[in-house]
Amino acid sequence: MCKVRVDAEDVEVEAGLEETILEALRRCGYAYRWGCRRGGCGVCKVDLLQGEVDYRRNVSELVLSATERDGGVALSCRARPRGDVTIRLRDERLKKCYGILAT
Amino acid sequence: MSVMRLGYVHVRVTDLEEAKSHYGNTMGLLEVANEGNKVFYKGWDEYDHHSVVLEEGGVGLVKLGYKVSESSDLDDIEIKATRFGATVERMAKGDNLSVGDGLRITLPSDHVVEIYHEIEYLGTETGRINPDPWPRFRRGVGAPRIDHALITVEEPALVERFFADVMSFMVSERVIVSNENPEVIGSWMYCAGTPHDIAFIKGPNGKLHHFAFALESWSDVLHAGDIFAMDDVPVDVGPTRHGITRGQTIYYFDPSGNRNEVFTGGYLTFPDFPSITWTADQLAKGIFYISRELNERFTSVLT
Ligand SMILES: [Fe+2]
Repeated sequence: MCKVRVDAEDVEVEAGLEETILEALRRCGYAYRWGCRRGGCGVCKVDLLQGEVDYRRNVSELVLSATERDGGVALSCRARPRGDVTIRLRDERLKKCYGILAT
Repeated sequence: MSVMRLGYVHVRVTDLEEAKSHYGNTMGLLEVANEGNKVFYKGWDEYDHHSVVLEEGGVGLVKLGYKVSESSDLDDIEIKATRFGATVERMAKGDNLSVGDGLRITLPSDHVVEIYHEIEYLGTETGRINPDPWPRFRRGVGAPRIDHALITVEEPALVERFFADVMSFMVSERVIVSNENPEVIGSWMYCAGTPHDIAFIKGPNGKLHHFAFALESWSDVLHAGDIFAMDDVPVDVGPTRHGITRGQTIYYFDPSGNRNEVFTGGYLTFPDFPSITWTADQLAKGIFYISRELNERFTSVLT
């Protein structure tokens, strides 16, 4: 298990080995801006402040350029944390969707 | 006569195996050929060689193919497209697997449209002699055929004029800013008897919003939704109804993030169909009639 911390939100969730950042946050009832959830649109990009990610599936250079990757941008629907990571959302706040159902 | 229908959609996919699982197992298209990094599919009710081409590498639209009824239509469209000022080149038989001579036109919006008259005939799955209404063994959604595509363009009025002047398409519905400001921000156009064979909304040039499969009924749309849940396909919106076209729909994403749609219903169009107008303040109702809400994805997710 790796920890996914969301900067400025006081939120930390655990991600399974195969889980992406987006999958882990969704599973725990959180939402933020995402699009196709299949690596094609780039809507769910986040800034990776700390830690490493990898991509089990191909990510098109059209969607996430090498420059962006090197500059610490992660495509959160495809990026799997390799160890603990801290991310920052872009111009938005994390939403807690499950409300009273959340533990 | 002129353009008959949208004949093929050629898209890029990041991973060919995942895409094959989606278009083959989930959508139930039939794989008819493969060539290098491309795979060719058709729906069970389509008789031409293919209607969907997947090409590995990247995402988004490579090109759309429209089939004309006479080979002389190619000359006619070539003259009109050149006069319009679009970039036109002749394509040769074999440039596309099984497709004959034709035209390759680059729209003012940078999208590539191919016009062709000949393509190999394969026949439908149910045949032409005493056919059953559908093939006994369909996979997944079991999509019978493709229907239309929606692309984004910087100047909808210009692209609308291209399809009207060069391709002889007619406008079924149009979205304008307001009654006072008739700037076109979206246009739905037909060449056959359906509500649309192409549509465009204002946005970046060269991008695909979605392409659609036609289903037979509203219950088939619900059945498709069940299949999407079983196969964990991310659904964008639906099942719901469009105000524009009156069709019933689900939007969802293929494994590369290209948006697909299953579509049914909608009215009939004829050459004397009076165009319908929507004003931008009612756009959400025009797109998603029941919820009357546009989600952010609708305008931000393009490939
Ligand atoms: Fe559509």
